[in-house]
Amino acid sequence: MQRLSNTILALRGLSSGVWVIATLLIVSAFFVLMRDPQEKGDLRFWLFSLEHRKMYIPLIERHEQTTNIKLDVELMSIPAIQSRMMSGFFGGLPTADLIEIERAVAPQVFMGPTEAIGLHDLTDLLIEEGLLEQLNQPSLAPWSVDGRVFGLPHDVHPVMLAYRADITEAAGIDVTQAQTWDEYFELLRPLMADTDGDGKPDHTPLSFWYTNQDMIETLMLQGDGQLFTQGGTPTIDSERNAWLLAKMTTWCVGSDPVAIYVDEWSAAGHRDKVDGLAIGYIAPDWMCSIWKMHVPGLDGKLKLMPLPAFEQGGRRTSVRGGTMLGIPKTTEQFDRAWEYAKLLYTSPEVARELYREVDIISPVRSLWDDPVYDEPDPFYMNQRKGRMYIELAPEIPLRPSSPYNKQAAIDVRDAMGQLAKFAEENRLYTIDELLPRARELLAGVQRQTERRMARNAFAAEDLAAAEHGGEE
Amino acid sequence: MSAGGIDQKRVLFSWAMLAPFIVLFTVFVVYPLIQSAFLAANQTFGPGTRTFVGTKNFELLFSDPVFWKSITNTFIYAMGSLFIQLPLAFALALALNSQKLRGRGIYRLIFFSPQLMGLVFVSILGALAFEKRAGLVNQAIAFILQDPKYLEIDWLQQHVMATLILISLWLYVGFNMIYFLAALQSVDKSLMEASEIDGANAWGKLRHVIFPSVKPVATFVVLLSMIGSLQLFELPYILLENSGGPENSGLTIVMYLYQNGFDLGDLGYASAIGWVLAIILIGLALVQVKLTRAQEVRP
Repeated sequence: MQRLSNTILALRGLSSGVWVIATLLIVSAFFVLMRDPQEKGDLRFWLFSLEHRKMYIPLIERHEQTTNIKLDVELMSIPAIQSRMMSGFFGGLPTADLIEIERAVAPQVFMGPTEAIGLHDLTDLLIEEGLLEQLNQPSLAPWSVDGRVFGLPHDVHPVMLAYRADITEAAGIDVTQAQTWDEYFELLRPLMADTDGDGKPDHTPLSFWYTNQDMIETLMLQGDGQLFTQGGTPTIDSERNAWLLAKMTTWCVGSDPVAIYVDEWSAAGHRDKVDGLAIGYIAPDWMCSIWKMHVPGLDGKLKLMPLPAFEQGGRRTSVRGGTMLGIPKTTEQFDRAWEYAKLLYTSPEVARELYREVDIISPVRSLWDDPVYDEPDPFYMNQRKGRMYIELAPEIPLRPSSPYNKQAAIDVRDAMGQLAKFAEENRLYTIDELLPRARELLAGVQRQTERRMARNAFAAEDLAAAEHGGEE
Repeated sequence: MSAGGIDQKRVLFSWAMLAPFIVLFTVFVVYPLIQSAFLAANQTFGPGTRTFVGTKNFELLFSDPVFWKSITNTFIYAMGSLFIQLPLAFALALALNSQKLRGRGIYRLIFFSPQLMGLVFVSILGALAFEKRAGLVNQAIAFILQDPKYLEIDWLQQHVMATLILISLWLYVGFNMIYFLAALQSVDKSLMEASEIDGANAWGKLRHVIFPSVKPVATFVVLLSMIGSLQLFELPYILLENSGGPENSGLTIVMYLYQNGFDLGDLGYASAIGWVLAIILIGLALVQVKLTRAQEVRP
């Protein structure tokens, strides 16, 4: 009795804050316990794009009705997918049965020996079911290791040049005549005049800057620059890469640079686009819908054309971004997951929606005849841009799946920044003048990358094998 | 019940009360610590790969120029915190401690508000403020100096460390100010009055009364700032998009750890970096303990 009264006295002595916390604890515990447990599906699907989810849901619901296999679609951010997936792979724990993986994350999945990759090798299935030949071959490269394919490609993402046709046409300039970058800049030079007297050109031909790693990589790929071979050997210090680096640097330096920094994502950058600060923009297919959503002021002002080449007869496109669908090895229902994968990634219905909703063309070549790709797009002055992108799709450059690519691309961007600084400090503005320094800088990046790879016992083995085996 | 029985009951009860903490601490602190020590002697390259390399990770680390760059950057940032942020926080605390100032509560809230918004949100706003051409900072400089060329300052490319320090000022000055304010409010009023009677001027009071009184708190805040600075990650991660910035000018120790562990899949090397950082932090904590004890012993 004495003990009880002591306890009551002790409780009475507690502050009101303690009582509030205790009440909250009891109330929240009650609600948690009373909540209806969610019915779990047979399979789990992790994806990061709301647009993708919207497209897949009707198809999944129909499939669920016919097969009675329920798929839980779980939307989360790219970093969330990355950390959950990699934690699962490292710890050998279950993840999802299907995972959409963004290009920036993919190299981490493909680290280490091929047999240790956390995803199922789909190569044999793709061949058996005749799917491999239906897919746009270069679109498989980022999802392949040692010739084995670990993911179904979601897209192709060819790149064109979007240009302010309203401005060029008003000036009587036919930009489509430009076959090369040099011709493009020459054609647009009259628009660089300073007619408003603010001390700056009214327009600059290209939105590009040496600080934008994605754009540098995109254009280097266009010009056949490669940081790694498909086998993963670094080729950063190649003569071609040095030339491309010097070439692109000349665009950004000097008294009248032909390129200008326009932020791709910010409101200020969108304002600059509407103002016509730059005439041309590097435009992968997905960017078309981004502009429709975020820069409505460009409606009816843009046209698309193949990228001008670095040399006559050179490649007129490149590639930027990408997504794949993988099936983790931990899935207990591979066959069901594979059926869903095919449904979502090879169905004509999704391909059509993908283009209508987000302007992305399908990597499945047999679907390229769909009339949706021939529909004129009023935002782009009624151009049939789907067909234009498809015509360029087979020409997109191959991209390596090396986990060291991301850091190497960052280092190349830094090298370009240093080259631009060197050019301005020494007033050297031609390719020939910049080439020796570009070679030096890229040799430094090559050494740095090799050091990074050599530090890792596993990557060092690959590096040594490639060096001794004369890998191409 | 024997005395021994009661003791045993008490001991059992104590352990039962401690058990949740011990279990959680073991699972989430002790085990990862042991695991990371083990990992530091291994190399990994993605899932399912591990090879024992002994002390090689540490040997490679000390000859890795990028690691030293990250150490230098982190210490530059820490020095910026120490010599700019803390004096500013102290000055603000002094100003806001003045009885003559009206609306002190509002000012305190304003200076502390970045903490309420959170680091990620402040980082995003900071990135917008320091944007080239349209950013608030460049607009302000160009307006004050009446020269549009200042619109082109590329803070996040050309002045990375300065930008990080400036944004962290915004974020942490108000936070540290609160510590100093609390310390100032506990300064013995009789000492202040005595110094006034003795004819001390403002500087004299500051030097002989205020500084000695706030010294224990200042020591704590200095060490807290140093430790926080050495763990800097989110701010550069968001501002520089996990790239380390041009020529790694914004790469910090924890960012380098993250890049190695999660971008390159080498958890061993990342663990080695983590242990070096841990040793630095333990060293700082020991300094704090020593300084605090010395102050307690001193009459």
